Amino acid sequence: MNQHNPVGIVMIEDDEGHARLIEKNIRRAGISNKLTHFLDGGSALDYLFNAEDGPRHNGPALVLLDLNLPDMSGTDILEKIKSDPVLKRTPVVVLTTTDDKIEIQRCYDLGANVYITKPVNYESFADAIRQLGLFLSVIQVPENDAS
Amino acid sequence: MLDLDQRRFNRLALGAVLLGFVLLAAAFGAVLLSQSLDRRSNAWVQHTFKVVDGLNQLELTVERSETAARGYVIQPDARRRQTFEANRDRFAPSLAILRSITADNPRQGAHLDRLTPLLTAERDLLNQVTTLADSRGPRAAQAMLVPDMEKRRVNAIRAVLSDMRQEELRLLNMRVADARQASRWSQLALLVTGLLLGLLGIATFATVRRYTGQLDAARLRVDQLNTGLEARVKERTADLQRVNAELQRFAYIVSHDLRSPLVNIMGFTSELDAAAKVLTRLIDTVEADAPQLIDEPARLAAREDLPEAVGFIRASTQKMDRLINAILRLSREGRRNLRPERLDLNDVVPAIVQTFEQQLAKLGAHIEVAPALPTVEQDRVVIEQIVSNLVDNALKYGVERGGHIRIAAQQRGALTEVSVADDGRGIDPKDHERIFDLFRRAGKQDVAGEGLGLAHVRALAYRLGGSIDVISQIGQGATFRLVIPTIYREQEPEA
Repeated sequence: MNQHNPVGIVMIEDDEGHARLIEKNIRRAGISNKLTHFLDGGSALDYLFNAEDGPRHNGPALVLLDLNLPDMSGTDILEKIKSDPVLKRTPVVVLTTTDDKIEIQRCYDLGANVYITKPVNYESFADAIRQLGLFLSVIQVPENDAS
Repeated sequence: MLDLDQRRFNRLALGAVLLGFVLLAAAFGAVLLSQSLDRRSNAWVQHTFKVVDGLNQLELTVERSETAARGYVIQPDARRRQTFEANRDRFAPSLAILRSITADNPRQGAHLDRLTPLLTAERDLLNQVTTLADSRGPRAAQAMLVPDMEKRRVNAIRAVLSDMRQEELRLLNMRVADARQASRWSQLALLVTGLLLGLLGIATFATVRRYTGQLDAARLRVDQLNTGLEARVKERTADLQRVNAELQRFAYIVSHDLRSPLVNIMGFTSELDAAAKVLTRLIDTVEADAPQLIDEPARLAAREDLPEAVGFIRASTQKMDRLINAILRLSREGRRNLRPERLDLNDVVPAIVQTFEQQLAKLGAHIEVAPALPTVEQDRVVIEQIVSNLVDNALKYGVERGGHIRIAAQQRGALTEVSVADDGRGIDPKDHERIFDLFRRAGKQDVAGEGLGLAHVRALAYRLGGSIDVISQIGQGATFRLVIPTIYREQEPEA
């Protein structure tokens, strides 16, 4: 049903297992949007800002962001996205194991749209991802001026 | 150098004071003695003068009466006779006085014995002569006097009196010499006593000075030790807090990093489970359609081994998740800022007890709160957590049906002790340390739990600057004692 949605999903997640589980559940929720996965913050930023087919130059996107990355903190990426005049409208979903209140608050302060704690319980995890699919299907992502 | 301790110094001081008193008394005695000796020797001198005076008087009386009598015999007239009679009548009283004042001296007594008949004879002769002169005329009387004069009685009287004077002077010299000697001894005694007092004074002064010096040195040492101790305690406390902070950071990071793989394990176990179900369905289909393709191991693997493995993985992962959460909670507890406030335990404790009403009703148990609890200045949340954890523990593990819990508190100086006592099954003394360890439990494992409650309580007690322990024997209930500072004092800021 979202066949013609042009929104690309950018997943920044260093744990391949988590990435796999997230993708599986997104697909199970019936979301077939293009999903690009990055294992570290550097290459993800490079794609977001500089790639020809990246969100900065080409089309709207949704970012799934893990906070614990090997090369930089997820909050740095969040800050960069939200301070860019073009990318700041891109919805960012923070998906991480930290349920520290201060950390959550900081993410919202920086402009995160949704904050999801990865629960150890898989059913809850799958539910959360599926709801994310639902979220993806109802939000209206504004057309990028640059496109 | 001889070291003076308190007891020894006290004994010495007491001894010195006593000795001082004895010496003073001796000096006083010596002075009194010497004074009394002086007085006695003066008295003896007076006495001698008195005796000598008596002797002189007597001699004079005798001379006068003789002269008057002789004059009367040569030329009788009334005035001479009168003089004679007056002097004659003084013989006896003078003698009596002399006898009485020399009564103590037998030698003077002997002299007096010699004198008495001489005086009597003299008096009798003079009486006879004067009477003769009156009756027969001066010539007869003169004739009577002449032979008597040859006897020289008056000279004998004079000699006796002189002997007595000599004797008295000899005695006086003797006595005065004695008194002088005694006075010299007493002066010597006074001098010695004075010297001893002086020595004692010097010794006492030296001792006191040394003792004071030692006290000063000791105080200085104590001061130095105190200062050093404070610094060491500060250092240790800072060390401990740094270690504690590190441990908490470690716990925080570990629990987070452990969670990440756990998400994968759980997730892929579920995937595995789903995949296994697909395979099981396939086996079911194949078994129905072509049973010869399925052997026993395949059937067992799909129907029993796979679900069993998945079940165990899930159960273990869930348990691990709970443990990690517990560590996380402990580390968070340590990071929370404490807000001390005045807490009247008379209000706080009953409020906590109220939250257990349902459990109490179910168990038929009863909680007694002791009257007149003290007031503390501590973090409300932490105090509530500790007390309710202890009550919860007592209800879970201690109290049996219809049991009894008693909560009491009292202030002991700067500390306040809160105790929660139950009459339940008790705890073996060998487990008293163990029960406060993380994930460790003791006794019959018949109640669900992770072994976190008491570890948590202990961490909280430490956080408040206090401690917790337990007094218990198997079958005799258990009393948990929380000891905390009555007023919370902020410890050094974390390094």
